[in-house]
Amino acid sequence: MATTELLKPVPAPGSPKAPAKGRPVPVGRIALYVSLSVVSLLMVVPFAWMVITSLKTPVEIASQDGGLLPEHWEFGNYVDALKAAPFATYARNSFVIAISHTVLNVLVASMAGYALARIRFRGSETIFYLFVAALMIPTYTKVLPEFLIVRFMPLAGGNDIFGQGGSGWLDSWWALIVPGAVTPFAVFLFRQFYLDLPVELEEAARLDGLGEFRIYARIMSPQVKPAFITVALLTFESSWNNFLWPLLVTHSDSLRVIQVGLSVFKTENGTQWHFLMAGTTLATLPMVVLFLVGQRYFVQGFATAGLK
Amino acid sequence: MGTTTVLKARPARPPSAPEPSVPRQTGRVPTGPGRRRRRAGMLMVAPALLHASLWIGLPVVVSVGLAFTKYDVLTAPEFVGLANFRDMLDDAVFRKSIVNTLLYTFFTVPFGMALGLLVALALHTGLKARGIFRTAVFLPQVTATVAIALVWLWIYNPSNGLLNTLLSFLGIEGPAWLSSTTWALPSVILVGIWQGIGMKMLIYLAALQSLPKELYEAASVDGASRVRQFFSITLPLLKPATFFVLITSMISAFQSFDQIYILTDGGPANSTTMMTYEIYKSAFREFRVGYASAQSLVLFVLLMGFTLVNKRIMGGSRGHN
Repeated sequence: MATTELLKPVPAPGSPKAPAKGRPVPVGRIALYVSLSVVSLLMVVPFAWMVITSLKTPVEIASQDGGLLPEHWEFGNYVDALKAAPFATYARNSFVIAISHTVLNVLVASMAGYALARIRFRGSETIFYLFVAALMIPTYTKVLPEFLIVRFMPLAGGNDIFGQGGSGWLDSWWALIVPGAVTPFAVFLFRQFYLDLPVELEEAARLDGLGEFRIYARIMSPQVKPAFITVALLTFESSWNNFLWPLLVTHSDSLRVIQVGLSVFKTENGTQWHFLMAGTTLATLPMVVLFLVGQRYFVQGFATAGLK
Repeated sequence: MGTTTVLKARPARPPSAPEPSVPRQTGRVPTGPGRRRRRAGMLMVAPALLHASLWIGLPVVVSVGLAFTKYDVLTAPEFVGLANFRDMLDDAVFRKSIVNTLLYTFFTVPFGMALGLLVALALHTGLKARGIFRTAVFLPQVTATVAIALVWLWIYNPSNGLLNTLLSFLGIEGPAWLSSTTWALPSVILVGIWQGIGMKMLIYLAALQSLPKELYEAASVDGASRVRQFFSITLPLLKPATFFVLITSMISAFQSFDQIYILTDGGPANSTTMMTYEIYKSAFREFRVGYASAQSLVLFVLLMGFTLVNKRIMGGSRGHN
């Protein structure tokens, strides 16, 4: 599988694995280490700067000739930031949405992926191509009509049966959760995984008299656990990081998600950098932790997805 | 091989292309008591299909329809033919946004790809610490663009941000990066390159690891230098991966929005506005929904056009494995 290959240190074709044949100093190797360290440093410095700033006092941030590191570490910024803006509420909202998306996407997309991979029925080919086509539709072609559908959702938020009169699903959990719940990419990825399973498995199950749903749930799905973990992590990640959609469909503070909350914080208080960076650190932390824990699945998923 | 099976069935493949991922007959043969099985299949696809019809299919249809109307959400849409598209021709800001989008794409994508490939090649040499390096390079990719843009907003801060503080150590007085019409777009582009390297590196790394080692052994025996090997073997073999990276990063570069919203709001003087940002402005600030739909249609057509041209030039994505 892709991941295990990616994680194994593979010696480059043509390059000496060790400084073999009595070469004294591996100059190339040292140069490689140095340049990779520089690149890695450039990638990590902004994150470090974020954390450092979150621990400075406003006075220190404002002073022109302040050092790069804080003089004394102001951990209280985090407590104050949580008081200055309801980051805890924002984070909770983001968490609820991300978990809902993850559960729904894994359930619905795996079923669809299984059916498209293993069952041939009228129109299954066409449906698969429709999902592939759906993958190629840019977000911005969809986002405006999606907003209108939410706005004119019949019999919701004071709307009549024709979707008039109220505000529909706007500023509700429905709008935050339902439209983004299932992604064609997840259907696609699950299908690829189910395709690779041997046909003997399901035949044996069928001989035992198992129904199709049981074969899917009990026999086949446990064989593609990596697919489930990959889709779950990717779904959680993109849901947690989503900005535009929650920005468009909610306006009340109690429904605000963390990314939108941060962006509002930027202008509201004339940008108090120590608070803003504390909030940004809090918003970044869950993804960093999740990434470090589930790295191999992220790597595999991203290599497959190519884009978010 | 895992990587290749997954990679070859990429989203960029048009529906007309032959579907290669069904090399075997498994699961495709109608077996057993067919009818119940087929009905179960339909039932299992139904929820996903219903969802996609409502939240992807319908929006696409609505979008195309609205592009030919004047519509402000409050009153009913009014058919205006091609008026929106004519308005676009006269819209200097929208033209500017197209230019900016193209500039942003042309700088972030090739530069990011070159850097991504270099890092992937370096990591492919099997260093001990490769895991740490890879994690560091990939970190920005899992972080929200909003969070990243906020950090860079602070780095670019003219008076006491990191960049100008560092420059002041060298005795250089840095500009007000994001509020200068000269520097704003390059600053945004830099963030784009920085954030995107991880993904490009990862796809290249996956591709590098699936290359046949025998070719390199043979080339070494023939006395081909490392550089020669790279240009005659590695680069041609990486073509499908390059195509994949190119298409996917172009699609996401074309749709950059979050960083513009946070970093510059399209300013100063529209010097960093992008097509997505104009669509957002038309729809949600000026309530010209019909016009915004027409703009998003132009975005879609441009994207499709570029994808097809690339496919033509690169000879398509097929031919590997």
